[in-house]
This record gives sequence, C-alpha cells and structure tokens, in this order.
Amino acid sequence: MARLLIVDDEADVREFAANFFRKRKVEVSTASAGEEALGLIEKQKPDLVLLDIKMAGIDGVETLRRIKEMDRDIKVIMVTGRKPEENSFERCKQLGALQYVHKPLELDELEKIVLKELFPAKKEG
Amino acid sequence: MAINYKKELEAAAKSMILVHNPDTLIKMIMRRIVQQIKVSHAGILLYDKDRDTYVLTVSRGPAGLKIPAGFTRMDKDNPLVSFFSQRKDKKLLGDGVLIYEEAKKLLRRKKLDAASRQLLRDALYQLEIFETVVCIPSYFRDDLLGILLLGKKRGNRKFWPDEIDFFVALTSDVAMAIRNAQLFRELELELERKHRLFIHTTIALAAAVEAKDPYTHGHTERVTDISLKIANLLNQKNKGALSEKFLENLHIASLLHDIGKIGIPEAILNKNSSLEEDERKKMQEHPVLGSIILQPIPELNEVILGVKYHHEKFDGSGYPEGLDNGRIPLIAAIISAADTFDAMTTDRPYRKALSKEEAIKEIGRISGKQLDPQIASALLEVYQKGEI
Repeated sequence: MARLLIVDDEADVREFAANFFRKRKVEVSTASAGEEALGLIEKQKPDLVLLDIKMAGIDGVETLRRIKEMDRDIKVIMVTGRKPEENSFERCKQLGALQYVHKPLELDELEKIVLKELFPAKKEG
Repeated sequence: MAINYKKELEAAAKSMILVHNPDTLIKMIMRRIVQQIKVSHAGILLYDKDRDTYVLTVSRGPAGLKIPAGFTRMDKDNPLVSFFSQRKDKKLLGDGVLIYEEAKKLLRRKKLDAASRQLLRDALYQLEIFETVVCIPSYFRDDLLGILLLGKKRGNRKFWPDEIDFFVALTSDVAMAIRNAQLFRELELELERKHRLFIHTTIALAAAVEAKDPYTHGHTERVTDISLKIANLLNQKNKGALSEKFLENLHIASLLHDIGKIGIPEAILNKNSSLEEDERKKMQEHPVLGSIILQPIPELNEVILGVKYHHEKFDGSGYPEGLDNGRIPLIAAIISAADTFDAMTTDRPYRKALSKEEAIKEIGRISGKQLDPQIASALLEVYQKGEI
C-alpha cells in the first residue's frame, strides 16, 4: 500500500486530508510539526510527504531540507498558506521539492497530484 | 416531516438581520442545516473577489466531511463553477438545483450535446470528491455568488421537494445577506480610507509649515500629542463629555494650528533675535491667516476656531480678538495650553529652553491668568502621570 505522510500544524487539515486519502486506498499517517515528521519518516519511510510550509518550531522549508538529508528519494509536495514568503518557492525547488500547492487548493488538483506520485503506473489508465 | 420550513426560514431571516458579520452568519446557518435536516455535512463556497476564486468558507458536519475553513477552492474554470456560471443549470435542470442522483439519470437518458455532457460529468465528479449529493447555486443578477453543498441525509434518504425548496430559498437569502454585509464592509473600508487620506493630507500641510519654519521642527507633532492627552484626561474626568467628533477636530486643529505661518515672511520666521514691534504684529497675524486658509472648507468650522483662537488668553490679553474667560472655544484653549508648554521647553533664538519641571511650574504660575485653570491643571496631571 502506498504510504503518505501529512504534515500540518492545523488539526482540521490533518484530519480532513487524512480521511480524504484513506478513502482513496492510501495508507496515511500525520504529524503536527517538523520534528515529529522527521521521527515518523525515519520509522515509516513514506512514499510521499505533504508538507505545510508555515509551522511553529522548525518550518516546512527546514523540515524539507532535513528530509532530503535523510533520504533523497522521499518525494515531498509543499503546501503553502495564503501569503507565501517571497523566495520560498525557489528555495523548495532547490531543496528538491516536487511540487508546490497553494491553500486554498483545488481538491481535485491535490487528488490528482498526490495519486499520480503514489500510483505512477495508474496515470495512463 | 416534523420541520416547519417556513418557521426555519423566518428564524434564519431574523438572524440575518441581527448578525452583520457574514462569517458568523454563515456558520450559524450551516449549523442549523446540519442539526435540523440531519445531513452528513453542509458547506458553502463563496466568491472571493480578491483572489477571483470560490473558497469553501464553511463546512459543517456532525460526522463526515468537515473541510477546514479556507482549505479548498474552486477556480472559475472548475467544472462545477462553470456549470452554474454558464447557467447550464437553467437549461438542464428545471429548478436550478443540481441533485447527484438525478443528474446521473440525466446523463444516461437525455439527449445532451457532447460539451454539456462532459461538463455535467466533470461537475458530478466535483460532487463526488466533496461527498456532496445536492448543490444549490446562488446568484446576484447573473453573477454566481456562491454554491451550497449538502452531504447525504441520514440513512442516505432522498431529499424531499419541500426540503429542496427550503434550501433554495435559504441559499438565496444567505447570498443576499452576505452580499449586503460585503457591500457594507466595503463602504466602511472606503470611508476609513478617505479618512486616512484626509488625516495624511492634514499632516502634509502641517509639514509644509514646519519646512518653512525650522525653529518649530517637531513642534506640531508635540502640540498635537499634548493636546490629545489633555483632552483624554478631561474626558476621563468628565465621563466622556467630549464627543468623538470633538476629539477628531482637536486632532486636526492641533495639526493645523500654525498653518497661517505659511503667510508670514521667512525673514521673520527665521530671525535669530527678538522680533521688532512691527515684526511681532506681522507674526501675530498667523492665527487669522490660518483661519482664512481653512475658511473654504465648511466641514472644518470647529477646527477653524481652534486655529484662529489658539493665541487667546484666559484673562483676555491674547490675540487676535482679546477673547476672555468663557468666550474662548475649548478647542482653542486646549491647543493654547499645549502650545505654551511646548514653546517653553523648546530652544528659541533669543532664549534657552526651560526644563519640563521648570515649564510645569511656569504653567502653574500662569494658570487662571493666561491659561484656563481647568486645562492647566489637566496638563499638570498629564505631566505627573509621566505621559509627556
């Protein structure tokens, strides 16, 4: 089963996104902060991480850097709030983030992006 | 059916009148829908003008889909939004309500053109990912304002026609209330903007005087600050006797109190020694000059009094008219005290500044003579509180 880790400091977002992808046959775990996410990644080796940029403690960009330090192959999609910082997009790209989606996001687009990464073979079908 | 829809609508209409904050209003109504009709969730997408997109503003459900506020959006090219904004609902669905089951039937049996069929199919996919079975659009004229999304009823029962009617009426009422609230808010913002523009224009005018008269640099700002502090103290003591409008006028008048100096020759303003008698006379014209400058603005009536009479003295020895106790407008008397105090504590070409302690002693000495004793004592208190 494909494994997805959702990292966001808003409980509602974690809960909603987790339910959304569980219904789509994805094994989902969640973390509310960067440190917690790094711990989980070490244990669970998810295929994909949905990573909120703006979080208390170590932020999304720094979390991304450390994830990539741990394992370059883990795919990461960044999720940003309403007012992303100016060069964060460039910075995330440099650090190896796959995509960059803005809140509020289009649900079908999020679904498409995530499922495409988790089930690459299915995309032709 | 135990629910009296007419009563529900009336209750909703009542809360719309009482609640002016659209967010609170929508949340209340969504909660009501979920409680009364027992749907798994209810959400509303509202047009966000700034971002030119539809944002899922509220989503409520006792169990089931509860999307965090502001987490998802539908752009204008989203099939569900397109479906409604192109008014396909009118053509394909009689009453404008998109019901998942019925739309599915429609897809199967009706002769649809390929484009409409595709759009409807894509719109239904949006319903699926939002776990929605009924969709109700709301319009203002021809603009799509928002879309109400409803989840399944308990036990996946069908919606009754009167339930649908209720939601249609409710949605259009909600849209109207939101529209009104937004217009109201925009109006408020516009007023606020105008007001800021006005205050900044006033500050710019005051700066024009200061640019001409180097000795008064910073003076306007300090006089304004002290004047407002005196007024606030008077207000506290007299339980809000001074109106908002008065405080506002005082703010503007103190900013502009020396505006008339624009008409005084620079040779006099910048002189390094005491003024000759004729120069002093000329200098003393500045309050009247100021009032003449502002005269064309009828809204500034009270402000003009502050500008014109800020050199009048309590004992009648001031200028331009020698007004005495009781005839000097309060706005002018306050500026006068603040102006006097600041002049004392500022270096002048012909004398050194007093320290604040010395100046306050001096204020005490001239209280009841040059200065209105009530205002002088308020100034004293402001000083004792360490505010100046």
